[in-house]
Amino acid sequence: MIAIALALAATLGATAHPTPKVVLVKHADFIRQTLPDAKRYLLRTVTIGKEDLAAIRKTSNFTPDDPDVQFFLGEGDDARTVGVVLFQQINTPHGPIEVGLTFGPRGAITTATVTTATVETKPWVQDAVGAGLMKRFVGMRQGDDASKALGGLDGKLGGMPQYMAELIATAVGRGMALYGTLYKESAA
Amino acid sequence: MSVYSLRHANRSVKLAVLLFLLVLGYAYSFAFLMVKTWSGLTPTRVSATYVPSPGMNEMQMSEQSHATTQPLDLGKVPEMQHTVDTNLLIQDSHIHVMMYAVVAALLTLIILGLDWPAWWRDTMIVAAFATGALDFVGQWLMNRGLGGFAWLTILSGWGMALVYLIVLYSTVRTLLPGRATESPS
Repeated sequence: MIAIALALAATLGATAHPTPKVVLVKHADFIRQTLPDAKRYLLRTVTIGKEDLAAIRKTSNFTPDDPDVQFFLGEGDDARTVGVVLFQQINTPHGPIEVGLTFGPRGAITTATVTTATVETKPWVQDAVGAGLMKRFVGMRQGDDASKALGGLDGKLGGMPQYMAELIATAVGRGMALYGTLYKESAA
Repeated sequence: MSVYSLRHANRSVKLAVLLFLLVLGYAYSFAFLMVKTWSGLTPTRVSATYVPSPGMNEMQMSEQSHATTQPLDLGKVPEMQHTVDTNLLIQDSHIHVMMYAVVAALLTLIILGLDWPAWWRDTMIVAAFATGALDFVGQWLMNRGLGGFAWLTILSGWGMALVYLIVLYSTVRTLLPGRATESPS
């Protein structure tokens, strides 16, 4: 009895209960799948300065939580960048959602995918994705209004999936602002 | 003196009490896995989940952005750090605190039937309610930037486990065959 008690006590040592996240696509898989021509991968960390922060606020009306933004670069055979990946998180009362964005050499989105949701949000996110939302972001670039992707979804989604779609569009808009402002091909 | 005697209770009552405690323990084992996976078991990981990032310090920010680039091993790309912000903590609190109260109340019903001295009974009842409440007090203090209170959340988790195990142990001893005829102390 004592042994059972000790074993149970050991397993119940901490009892904070976060709303669990659900990884829909692993970061490494997303990078590999959306940069198929890449032969080498690089991680570029940009620490935001005052000028760029002002520009981000002006274009997207948002202030990043973290001053360090990570870009995942894929390089081809000729050492030229074939694409850049950015993961943009947005918090909701039901847990965080993360969107993976791949930008092509011309600076437009080539792939947008929800990479992380939570147990609660996953079915709503899947409804929004199933309605074709993510394909509507392809081709967008900084300056474009990501919320235009919601235009054709009117009436197709229920309340919570529609809310998720709006949050996803917000995340994409923020991702485009970060990429357009902070990513410079020639940076160190 | 007990409010009622679990030892002399109807067999169906004893069965229900025992099954409740066993299923509660079963649920707690999944709670452990959930905590281990998404929050962590050490003060460092727990505080990383609940303490907000320091955010932008514009006073110390340089005028220009600067970048560093390094080779990337795709096998070592970290996944998104799971964090709990204020909105999510409100969401978590509203259901968990209520459920903690319900579980504490059900444990109290069992405690009232155990042949415990009054002081010990009251201590365990207070502990059953307090540990659940303190779990979220710790989370909210961390949410306010006080990472040291990860210990409070972890210790309250241990406290909940301890209350459960004491009640389980005493209940099983009370329900063991051959004890039903003993008179309550």
